[in-house]
Amino acid sequence: MNRATRIAVIVAMAIAVLAPIGLVVYQSFLDGPFFQPKTAFTFSAYEFVLDDEDFFDALYNSCVIAFGMTAIAVPVGAMLAFLMARTDLPGRRWIEPVILVPMFVSSVVLAFGFVVSLGPAGFVTLWFKGTFGFVPWYLYSKTTLIVIAGLTHVPHVFLYTSSALRSLGSDVEEAARMTGAGPLRTALTVSLPMVMPNILYAAVLVFFLGFELFGLPLVLGDPEGILVLATYLYKLTNKLGTPSYQLMAVVVVAIICIALPLVALQRFLLRAANRYVSVKGKAAAQKPVSIGVWRWPAAAMITAWLLFTVVVPISGLVLRAFVSSWGEGVNLLDVLTLAHFRELMEFPNLTRGIVNTLLIASVGGALSVGVYTMLNLAAHRWQSGWTKLMDYLVLLPRAMPGLVAGLAIFWVFLFTPFLSPLRQTMIAIWVAYTLVWLAYGMRLVSGALLQIGPELEEAGRIVGASPGRVSRDLTIPLVKVGLFSSWLLIFVTFMREYSTGVYLLAPGTEVIGSLLVSLWGTGAVDLVTALSTVNIAMIGGGLLLMSLFGKRSHG
Amino acid sequence: MAKLIIDDLHLSYGSTEILKGITATFAQGEIVALLGRSGSGKTTLLRSIAGLEEPKKGVISIGDQPVFDAAAGLNVPSEKRGLGLVFQSYALWPHKTVFENVAYGLRLRNVAKAELQQRVAAVLDGVGLGHLGDRYPHQMSGGQQQRVALARALVYNPPVILLDEPLSNLDAKLREEARIWIRTLIKRMNLTAVFVTHDQVEAMAIADRIVLLDGGRIVQAGTPEQLYTEPVSLFASEFMGVNNQIKSRVQDKRGGYARIELSGHPLWGKDRAGKGVSEDATGVIRLEQVEVVDGEGENRIPAELETSVYLGSHWEHVFRCGDQTLRAFGRPLAAGTHWLHLPPEQLWVF
Repeated sequence: MNRATRIAVIVAMAIAVLAPIGLVVYQSFLDGPFFQPKTAFTFSAYEFVLDDEDFFDALYNSCVIAFGMTAIAVPVGAMLAFLMARTDLPGRRWIEPVILVPMFVSSVVLAFGFVVSLGPAGFVTLWFKGTFGFVPWYLYSKTTLIVIAGLTHVPHVFLYTSSALRSLGSDVEEAARMTGAGPLRTALTVSLPMVMPNILYAAVLVFFLGFELFGLPLVLGDPEGILVLATYLYKLTNKLGTPSYQLMAVVVVAIICIALPLVALQRFLLRAANRYVSVKGKAAAQKPVSIGVWRWPAAAMITAWLLFTVVVPISGLVLRAFVSSWGEGVNLLDVLTLAHFRELMEFPNLTRGIVNTLLIASVGGALSVGVYTMLNLAAHRWQSGWTKLMDYLVLLPRAMPGLVAGLAIFWVFLFTPFLSPLRQTMIAIWVAYTLVWLAYGMRLVSGALLQIGPELEEAGRIVGASPGRVSRDLTIPLVKVGLFSSWLLIFVTFMREYSTGVYLLAPGTEVIGSLLVSLWGTGAVDLVTALSTVNIAMIGGGLLLMSLFGKRSHG
Repeated sequence: MAKLIIDDLHLSYGSTEILKGITATFAQGEIVALLGRSGSGKTTLLRSIAGLEEPKKGVISIGDQPVFDAAAGLNVPSEKRGLGLVFQSYALWPHKTVFENVAYGLRLRNVAKAELQQRVAAVLDGVGLGHLGDRYPHQMSGGQQQRVALARALVYNPPVILLDEPLSNLDAKLREEARIWIRTLIKRMNLTAVFVTHDQVEAMAIADRIVLLDGGRIVQAGTPEQLYTEPVSLFASEFMGVNNQIKSRVQDKRGGYARIELSGHPLWGKDRAGKGVSEDATGVIRLEQVEVVDGEGENRIPAELETSVYLGSHWEHVFRCGDQTLRAFGRPLAAGTHWLHLPPEQLWVF
């Protein structure tokens, strides 16, 4: 790419990122929806929200939940990472792929799973009651919400800690063993401190995700009226009878103001972490640490965690989708049915949602990877103020939870004359998805690009290829495999996305995620569980493809 | 005729100056080695010639055409300079076969298919890989990959070929063969070549001329013989060979020679740095120039044999004389005191 193209691409991205945010900030200072002819500048929306007790309740709840889930997810995740990456725990190879499942299943689906399994009339609850005569838990409390949120975010901590532990050479541990430290002491004084920056990064990430939480509190907090920021925003839509755009804008501004420093902190920590681990020892063959008899309790603990966060909700959900009724004294084998799926097929908007989801994940995902690749190439091997600007711009959408970004994009499509005819098409959904996952997708693609040494491209220039030809003939073919696996990850990510489409939901723009959220509101549990099962099956297909591809590209 | 001219080239990364004014001329058909330690600026100079780095001052011309001129704002991009470059890592494109790696430069020049086939085959034959065109780079040994890299740089007949540490990734035995092979090939094709190395033996073996760099400046340029036998500075003498160093003070000067002393014994040596009487000076003599002799005489000193090391073709002896050690090659010696002769014309005083 030549300089002019690079700058054009970066400017286009700046517009795409800044327009939605700018519109939201602008809207927050108006006294009515921006499209109404007579609106005036005012602080009244801020005054209203800052006077609203519910807002502070929601803010407080968000804080408590974010702190609580961090306190649960970090130690569990770090310990899990150490056990999986560094010890001779039995069954490691089998457990490892399952650990990441909660990351790939959308959290509304998991939440539905908890309701049908552990809710007051859930499968497990009824079985427990039938067996022991009492139920020692209540699903719809804040404590339960924190525990569930914490345990379902363990994979994030696991992912960052275990990859750091793996890139740590065993020589540093062996050096500790040689000087006389036992395995436990080595772990506590050498291995874990060396990956501390990564753990810290994961902690901030989980805390941040806690603030963004939408699906879990929507499903699990609602019955007792527990609001968090995102659900407060969602409920606000109809608080005053008419859509109160200015109030929503204020809440969005508040969410972005809290999220932005957290995103900046994450970025800072990630850099620090990378610097730290790059002074690692030689990552030669690692010898697992033997933990002796402790392996059995450790394995039991991991199994219990998996049972609670993966097996119970998902199997409950799938089971619920295949039975017509359940309750005390009902033999589940007698009530097996496919009726819910048949019913699903009778609603054109639901079938359209399934097709749309497949399209947005496959075609849309591929287009998004194309966009991320263009953006990366624009900044590739170029040191300048423009690329720094881009670095910061990428962070902005990161600070917008999907719900918020979907809303902002919806407004942009309403606001911009030449875009408004596209508002009720999948193009609007695609723009929103691409924007929400911009930072993630950019990192996936840049990871692939960083794999190629600069001299491979320089060699192309020397032999006589222009920068454009170097991109086309050398860079792109070399990262093809990396781009394909990025697409697979984006595919699964778009498949499970649920919050971004909520405000964009209209005839023609249905996707499974947003349909689930709106169906849940109507109480159509049969349809919700059937559609969730379809979603899980689709994600499972994506994951299967991913593991097949991973095996092939490694072998 | 000068093929490549570099005039007063300066380059900085931020506030760090890497090249501090390099001026050099490279003649048609000449093989020149850029020799220096890491950080001396030799690779940066090579990359500047290739157009991969942008100097802040100076001129680079290939043939009669300037390709870089800071004052005129001229900086021809790499692909338009038409040079050949062999990368240290070879930088073979892993997704292309050997044939395609080599053919790429010709494809970019829109060479017709039949001619392309024939030229790639010819150059692959030239490097002894005629039969391996279908392979992928990862299916080849390091030595073969290096030949492919060379073929890729040669195929479009560049006016100048640049080589960045071309032998550093080969093992010792292969490297010795490759030295002779590369020199023969370049000479046979009558190419102008510039190559970067940190190994003075490699530089002497391949190059017609050596440019010795240190700290972004040229220390000395000349034939390998000149650099080895007439180094202009202590640094040059140390870089080019294995030396004894005698730390002393100039006692007397006479007719181009200066007198220093080693634990009280006077030694005359060539005055190479023009140091004045009673200034600190260092005497330098190559190991192979120190002779073990029978008795005392002019420029001879007594020294205690400390230890001897057998190196196969010869012995290396370590002598102690006062507080300094001297090393010399020779036949096996008995323990005790021996007389060493340091010929005045071989002892340089810097």
